[in-house]
Amino acid sequence: MVKQWFKSGSPWIWMTGGAVSISLISVLGLLAMIAWKGLSFFWPSQVVQFELDGSVTKQTVIGEVYDREMVPKSRLEAMGVDLSGFNKENLERLLIKTGNREYVDLDFRWVLETDIKSKTTPADLAVFERSKNGNFYGYIETVIKDGQVITDNKKQVLEELVDRAVDLNDQAADLQDGEIGHINYELERLRLQEKSYLLDDALTDERVAELAQQRAELRADYLVLEKQLFALRNQAKRDKVTVKDMRGESVTIPLYQVLDFWLPNDMGFFAKLGHYFVQLGKFISDDPREANTEGGVFPAIFGTVFMVMLMAVIVTPFGVVAAIYLHEYAAKNAVTKMIRIAVINLAGVPSIVYGVFGLGFFVYVLGGSLDQLFYPEAAPSPVFGTPGVMWSALTLAILTLPVVIVSTEEGLSRIPSTVRHGSLALGATQAETLWRIIVPMASPAIMTGLILAVARAAGEVAPLMLVGVVKMAPTLPLDGNFPYFHLDRKFMHLGFHIYDVGFQSPNVEAARPLVYATAFLLVSVIITLNITAIGIRNHLREKYRSLEH
Amino acid sequence: MITVAPQVNQSGTSLKLDLENLGKEQTALEIKDLDLYYGDKQALSSVNMKIPKGQVTAFIGPSGCGKSTLLRCINRMNDLVDICRIEGEILLHGQNIYDKSVDVAALRRNVGMVFQRPNPFPKSIYENVVYGLRLQGIKEKRKLDEVVEQSLRGAALWDEVKDRLHDSAFGLSGGQQQRLVIARSIAIEPEVLLLDEPTSALDPISTLVIEELINDLKNKFTVVIVTHNMQQAARVSDQTAFMYMGELIEYSDTNTLFTTPNKKKTEDYITGRYG
Repeated sequence: MVKQWFKSGSPWIWMTGGAVSISLISVLGLLAMIAWKGLSFFWPSQVVQFELDGSVTKQTVIGEVYDREMVPKSRLEAMGVDLSGFNKENLERLLIKTGNREYVDLDFRWVLETDIKSKTTPADLAVFERSKNGNFYGYIETVIKDGQVITDNKKQVLEELVDRAVDLNDQAADLQDGEIGHINYELERLRLQEKSYLLDDALTDERVAELAQQRAELRADYLVLEKQLFALRNQAKRDKVTVKDMRGESVTIPLYQVLDFWLPNDMGFFAKLGHYFVQLGKFISDDPREANTEGGVFPAIFGTVFMVMLMAVIVTPFGVVAAIYLHEYAAKNAVTKMIRIAVINLAGVPSIVYGVFGLGFFVYVLGGSLDQLFYPEAAPSPVFGTPGVMWSALTLAILTLPVVIVSTEEGLSRIPSTVRHGSLALGATQAETLWRIIVPMASPAIMTGLILAVARAAGEVAPLMLVGVVKMAPTLPLDGNFPYFHLDRKFMHLGFHIYDVGFQSPNVEAARPLVYATAFLLVSVIITLNITAIGIRNHLREKYRSLEH
Repeated sequence: MITVAPQVNQSGTSLKLDLENLGKEQTALEIKDLDLYYGDKQALSSVNMKIPKGQVTAFIGPSGCGKSTLLRCINRMNDLVDICRIEGEILLHGQNIYDKSVDVAALRRNVGMVFQRPNPFPKSIYENVVYGLRLQGIKEKRKLDEVVEQSLRGAALWDEVKDRLHDSAFGLSGGQQQRLVIARSIAIEPEVLLLDEPTSALDPISTLVIEELINDLKNKFTVVIVTHNMQQAARVSDQTAFMYMGELIEYSDTNTLFTTPNKKKTEDYITGRYG
């Protein structure tokens, strides 16, 4: 019976099918877990007021339930907690995010279920998202608008005022990063120009006067802008709100520090949904705050995509040209074979080794020489002789070069020789045949190589830590100042951001959901890049479809 | 068993040429003592023949006899085979095409070739036809349009595709694709057109259309055709060369070759005793 079953071949089907299912389940499980853990973070959870009557003291604790776990009674007793009145073997412990960081010792605390006397969710409990020191939980007492206390319709007024404050803050930030940033950039440019004149011995009086005049103009502009900036800031400082916190004390929060506030216990499902998407949008589009533990990850998304695209722009032509030489021109002998094997083996070199090479060769040798040749005026501070986005892209380009070469070669070898001969028979040279017929027909394979390269490069972190990624980059590699692309700048990267938030963060509990959310975002970015490339490839395939006969 | 009823040569009236002593004016190509080796193996041995201008010359013979190899020598497609070595001469306008000074691309512009399987490029019908012209740097739209119409008419394809010139060439049927390839070849106006079993991948109706086309083509070009189909050779060609084991066994006008062959081997082959 069993023998027959084996003979029928169905064990094989079960085994192979099972392997596929397990792979599928692990991949989907992974995605589902990081998606759930990461995305649920933005849902406005209820804020609970606990009355504690514990072994220590009576007190009120207000906060979000962040996590819960079961603890064996014996362990708690060993820690010196008096649990004589309880017979359960395991006791539940809640982790509560209490916020109000500057007024209490810890913004997270564990509360034992046996200590909880009562648990309420008052509708007027508010959460304030602040630009500094994290969330604040409490009851709104008074709203101070332009120095006047307002007691009626507090919520509406506060909403308006917060909107106004956020608006003013945005204006101030735009002014600072935009126009004032531009002036600073220009001033620095003038300084470098003066120095370069000096180095060339060409600093004539005329030029000195010219530079001084330009500087004076910029300074004058700056003073005007500075005044505007201070005006905006002062305006933002006028409004305040006083909040009664869990200690029962009134705390005054200036509204320029408040980014948003909401009353989670008073929100319906759709209000929560709206809030959820607003928070998610902010996570994607904002800059990080508080040592990356709060705010968004926009610079990291931008840095990742920018670097990967730069890498694609570098690696594609190089890889394609190299593959063309190997496949079309190189003699088919042992040397070519060896080169091909060497190229394939390059893909197996650990990525950190590429990072070391990038630092040693690109940054120090190439970058150092570039600085000496083209930026003598910037010395001693390096321009290209320091890790930056260009060196990162180049390092990842050599890391992914083998992938592009191998798949391009495969594509070239799949093109039927009859098409080649057809072109040659019309009087085309080999080069003409290549560029007009062969390479376009191999483009789907080239795209496949690029997809693999992008997938590999976008997830790579280790080499980048040596050649250009930083925890916090003050500026993006692309901005409004000529020449717009600043390839010498350092950048932020989602992969490194995960590492940084997860392992280097001063506030582990606050950072954990961000690790999941960032990981999910990184996967989404890679998938988006891949789907785009796959779309292009399918379009190309469709175009050259009938040749695969 | 195939027995050929040699209904030779529709045009019939063509003068019998003395192929041995063809005058300079009448000769398109002259092959002299051609030997060809693939590595150590000799594939052609001392082939000598003159191919007359403005006529259709067919190479027939059993598989592996070297007829396609000989055809590929005429526009140097054998250069693409690394292990191929050629001795002897092929004269075009009295110049040896294997001379070092010859530009292979220029030679191929002059000696076009159509292959067994239709091999259109992954481009539009229009772009396929003008490919050769674009290579020569011709960009004038009017000139290109003119050539496209002329060539497609020449290849008896114009009426079928004139409304969809900018559609992909892959949308055409096999027979249409093969005529497109012919149109592509004649667009650059070669002197000689080599056809390497042009109908072997096609259905009987497409084959008929192409055969009729070949008959028209000889008014403008010298056509050399390789075919494994003796009836086809009998139908379309003026001269026929029978090859066997890399040697040219017999070469004469088609009528004579199929009705009164000189050599025993030729007779055996055309009466279907082998091959």
